[in-house]
Formats: sequence, structure tokens, C-alpha cells
Amino acid sequence: MLKTRPDWLEPLFPWRQRSIVVNGRRMSYIDEGPRGGRPVLLLSGNPTWGFLYRDFIEPLTAAGYRAVALDWIGAGYSDHPPHDAALTFAHHVADLVSLLDQLDLRGFVIVGQDWGGPQGILAALQRVERFSAAVLMSTWLFTGTLSKFHSSPKPWTTWHAPLIGPYMMKRHKALSHHGPTAITVRGMTGGEARAYHHVYDEPESDAVVMTWPRTIPVTEGDRGWQDMKSLESRLDELAEIPVALFWAPEDPVFTMETLERMKEALSHAEKPVLFDRARHFMQDDRGPDIAAATVEFLDRRLGAST
Amino acid sequence: MNFIEPLSGELDHLRPDPLIFEEELDFLPCAATALEQAVGGRSGRFYWRSEHDHLYCLELGDLGRGRPSTATVFGHWDRYEPRPPEHEIDCDLMAFNLWFAEIAGLDPEAVAKVADRTGLPPSWPEGSVLRTPDERFANLLGFDYEPQYAVVENLRMAYVEAGEGAPVLMLHGEPTWGYLYRRMIPALSKVGRVIVPDLIGFGRSDKPAAANAYSYRAHVRWVRKFIEQLDLERITLVCQDWGGLIGLRVLAENSCRFARLAATHTGLGDATGKPNEAFRNWRAFSQRTRFMDVPKMMARTLVKRRDAIAEAELAAYGAPFPGPEYQIAALLFPRMVPTRPDHPGAFYASKAIEGLRKIDIPVFLPWGDSDPITGRGRAALKDIFPHAAAADLPGGGHFIQEDCGEELANLIVAWIKDSLC
Repeated sequence: MLKTRPDWLEPLFPWRQRSIVVNGRRMSYIDEGPRGGRPVLLLSGNPTWGFLYRDFIEPLTAAGYRAVALDWIGAGYSDHPPHDAALTFAHHVADLVSLLDQLDLRGFVIVGQDWGGPQGILAALQRVERFSAAVLMSTWLFTGTLSKFHSSPKPWTTWHAPLIGPYMMKRHKALSHHGPTAITVRGMTGGEARAYHHVYDEPESDAVVMTWPRTIPVTEGDRGWQDMKSLESRLDELAEIPVALFWAPEDPVFTMETLERMKEALSHAEKPVLFDRARHFMQDDRGPDIAAATVEFLDRRLGAST
Repeated sequence: MNFIEPLSGELDHLRPDPLIFEEELDFLPCAATALEQAVGGRSGRFYWRSEHDHLYCLELGDLGRGRPSTATVFGHWDRYEPRPPEHEIDCDLMAFNLWFAEIAGLDPEAVAKVADRTGLPPSWPEGSVLRTPDERFANLLGFDYEPQYAVVENLRMAYVEAGEGAPVLMLHGEPTWGYLYRRMIPALSKVGRVIVPDLIGFGRSDKPAAANAYSYRAHVRWVRKFIEQLDLERITLVCQDWGGLIGLRVLAENSCRFARLAATHTGLGDATGKPNEAFRNWRAFSQRTRFMDVPKMMARTLVKRRDAIAEAELAAYGAPFPGPEYQIAALLFPRMVPTRPDHPGAFYASKAIEGLRKIDIPVFLPWGDSDPITGRGRAALKDIFPHAAAADLPGGGHFIQEDCGEELANLIVAWIKDSLC
């Protein structure tokens, strides 16, 4: 875990890094905007951190929302326990529930991408009376095969295979130092790339980067299967919760096929909004546009005051 | 250390959380050997329940060396909920450490000394437990019993008592306190030693400030320890609302201490039925409000005594809560009622029901007819206790002790006398 932020990061991500202890580990987050504004939880996935949402903070807070961008335990400026067993799906859910409790967030919104989707929604279901809307992008909420990307041997399944995984992902930091930059559509400045990568600079700091892909439950018995099944079985509790789906047709990770399954799982969701010129890290490729769409959706369905 | 098998299906509801790692036990081969002898294996998972009723696991791996070579200790928490307060975990791990020092021929005193120096195992951190000021309880109308105090896990648990003989333990629920039973104490204290505790977080009892201090399991544990501390035996349990959710589990797990059960407007949250609309609305309200106006709520919920109850009596229900920070336990109770089968609380409640079915004690189910929340709860208890006696209390709402206090007390007294014959 990095205790202090480097100076070069300030202009790119000027918000104060705060932290609280969740389940015995320190979770880092930024918390901007009016205290009484509707809390919007900005949840990233593997291998990114709050930085992914840098284009969202100003539009949300300007519209009166309280923007909370947290780093999952194992990622960003949060603690990085080196142990796989401390970084399971259930841990991340309980960590977010702890944050919701400690910050006493009411009427909150989940904005989730990648693992931010299932982890965010399952945590929100634990506090469902305080949950008010969801914005989901390039993510999933179900077991089974997702796309060719997740079942093809190159590169995904190879990267986190036994023995190869520790070599590629940890020794060579294939994902933590080369992930977001590899599939950007917009292109990234050196500083932006560094912002994603530097949180995994320390040795043994990137256990979560491998735990996450190894937890994707494709067939029964896979790690994460039980939790994803539990989530699937509870989606009917969201019937009254407004849901927006933002998708990138060019995304090879969560494809249009996944979007179809999302529409089935959340049949009351609004008609998906598609963003071209974007792939998996949509918030990075089309940040200001997706932030504006988020504000539009929330203003129209809920409003900033709770 | 008493190693056990987890209950069948239990682990599915829990989240194993690694707490202590040791990748090489080989630097102290004699300790590894001692460990193997003590747990009866050189690899595998060995479970125990702690002082705090948390399930822990020691996982050993032998790496083909012919003795345990790696060890990890896991705590098991409710799968998606924040883990319990750190001092509970520290107490439990400290007990494990002392046990290990003992069996490995190390010096437990040295371990304890170091722990002492580092401030372990600590109790509730300073400022983490609130206590409602005594003056809030001055001049309570109809409740001038001198409060007594038991100490449970360093928390003050208040109770009042009256009468002599076999104990009659009366457990209140959400969001009340012992005051709820005041109209029943006079009659019942003639047939036994009435003991009316305030649950932790309620009444004159201490109120931990953090949400993760409270859980269904913690409440069960606190009431069990209260009973153990007063060393109550041959108990007649009288319970309503959460007093039953908690009390019935304590009864199931410690049946030898109980002689009789009178349950009213309560149940066990095993989540077999769908929660009714009144409960869903109540739970939603409780999770969205920041402070419940308990006197107002009582006034609205009463049926028979709605007009008869005095302002001062209603005010007594608000006495324990001078501000929102004192009300955390009351705001959490509705959320802790298990309403889905995959809720860990539902799992333990279903295990308790299995236990209760085997218990053969007199059971009495007096019930009012005007309670939208637990009004239909009697059928589930009748199913568990097919031989239970029943009585109907017309005009009795959810707070039956308030609506029909004397009548209910007289019915229970008659039933106790009846069961003595």
C-alpha cells in the first residue's frame, strides 16, 4: 500500500484521499460534494482504482451529488494484503457494506464497471432499503460464459493459469502495469498510464489482480460461483430500483451478448445507451460523456437530494 | 481447545477470513508435532467455537514432510456482513495463542505478558460504548423497581427483579425495554422470581456505538451469558418480538436451564415464509429514518390501551434514547430479522427449530388478535410445539404486554400453576 501520493499525481487526481478501516484493513476513498447530496458510489474493477472515475467527480458534485470513489481492498491506495484468501468476492462485498454503514450512506447510487458491478450490487442488496439507483457498464451479474474473451486461451485464461499466472501477472505485471494502457481507444498520456500502474509498483502488492480473474464463475464449482448465484437469485429485489446500462459495442470483454443477458436479468432497466470509441475501461475512453449521461439519468429519475 | 465439526451447511453462510499465517512451522519441529497430536492430524481443517461464538478454523498443510508445515487461522463471519469488533477477534486469537503455547511447551505467561504490553486483548475501546444517563430514568410511572446490573463482556446489562422462587425470565423486543413488562410483574412475582433484563442496546443496558457490534448471534450470546452469570435454572421464559427470536435460540441451545416457555407475538426467523407487507414497511422505515420517535410509535401501535395510556408512560419508552446515537440497536433490529433462506441468521434459526422440536417442556402461546406484524406468528410456533396450550386476547396488539398486561399475566400465572399439578 502506498501511504502518500506522489506529487505528479496531484494535477491528474486532485481530490483528497481519505480512508477508513473496513474488516480490519484500510480502505482508501475520495468523498467530494455536498454532505447532504445523494451519495454516488463509483466502483471500479480489475485492475484499476478510483482514478478511473476522475472525469465523474466534477460533473456529479456540480450537480449536487456526493461522489464517493473507493479503492477495493487490494487495489489503489487501499491496503494490499498479499493473500489471495483475504481478497475473495465475499470479502469485497463485506468491505463495501462496512463502508456504507460507517459513512451512514442513505439513498445511495451504485455506479459499477467490471467487478464494481457484481460486488457493488451484492453489497447494495445487503442494504437494499438505502439503495436508490444503479448505473452499470461493461460488467455482469451472472454465472456462466461471458464472452469469447473469457474462455479463449489467448490471452485471458493463459494469463491467470496456474504457474503462468504468477509469472505473467505478478513477475511481469501483465495486467497491473499493462492492462488499461493496452486496450485504451482514446490513447493515454504517460502520466495517466502511470497513475493506473504505480499503485502496484511495490513487490507482492498485486495479489488481487490475479484473484479477480480466478474468481470469475464460469462453471459450477468455480471460485465465486456461490456468491454470483446468490446475487442472481436476488436480482428480483431490484424491481423498484432505476437501472441505466451504458455499454461499449467495441468492448471485447463484456460484449453486446453480455448486454443482452443484462437486459434479461434486469428487465426493468432503461434502454441501454451505447458509447462508441470505447472499450472495457469506458470511463477512461469516454469519461466526460458517460459522466454527463450519469448525471442526466440520476437527475431525471431521482434528483440530487435524498 | 475443543475441536468440532461445523454444522451441516454452516460454512456456506460464512466468509473465511485469514487472520494468522505461518508458512514454515519447520523452524520449531517440536511445536509442529505438538500441534499434530493436539488436533489429531497433520493436515486439514480443524474448527472450534470461541468465547464469542465465532467459528474459527486452523488449516494445516504438511507439504509431505511428515508433520504440519504450514498453518493458517481463519475467522468465519456472516458472509456479506462486516466482521465483529476487533477486540472480540483479538480475545479469541489470544485464547488460541495461549492454548498453542501450552501444548507446544512454550510459556503461556510470556505470551500473556507481551500481550499485556501491547494492550491485548483489549476490551471495548474508550468511547465505543454509550450509556444512557440515569436521570432519563427518574420517576418512571409504574416502574419503581431498583435496577440491578450484570456485566456481560464488559457491558453493563440492566435488569429488575421481584419475587422469589424459580425464575421467570421476561425478554422484551424491538424497540422497547423492561418497562414493557411492568403491568405483568406484580402477578408473576407471586409465583416466582421475576427477572426482566434490558437487551444490550436498550433500556438501561450499555449501548455499543458501532453497528458491527450487533448481530443476531451477539444478542443470543449476551442473553445466554446473562443467564449463566445469574446462574438461572428451571427458568420460565416469557418472550415477545425479538425477545423470542433471541430467547428461543438461547432455549434451543441451553435447554437444560429452562422449565417452561410462554411465547407471544414472536417467532424464529428461519425465513420459510415471505415477510408480510406490514413488516416490510416497518423495516424500510427503520432503515431510512435517523431517529425513531418511540413514544409516538408506541401510541400508534397500541390497540386496547391506545387512549388509556398516560403521556408519562409513553415517555418512558423514549427514555433510553436521548439521541440518535443511542438508538443504533433499535434501528438495526428490523434489518437483522432473517427474511431470506440464505441469511446466516435463518440458517441458525432453522437449526434452533430442529433442537426445539426435541424439547419437551410446557409451552403456552397466548396471542392477541390485532397485530399486523407478528399476528400470524403463532401457527409457526404451534408447528414446532404441537402440544402447546393457547389463549386468545381480544384487542391485543403487537405490544400485548401493554395492551393486555394484567390479563396476560393472569393467564400465564394460571398456566404455570396448572403445569405444577
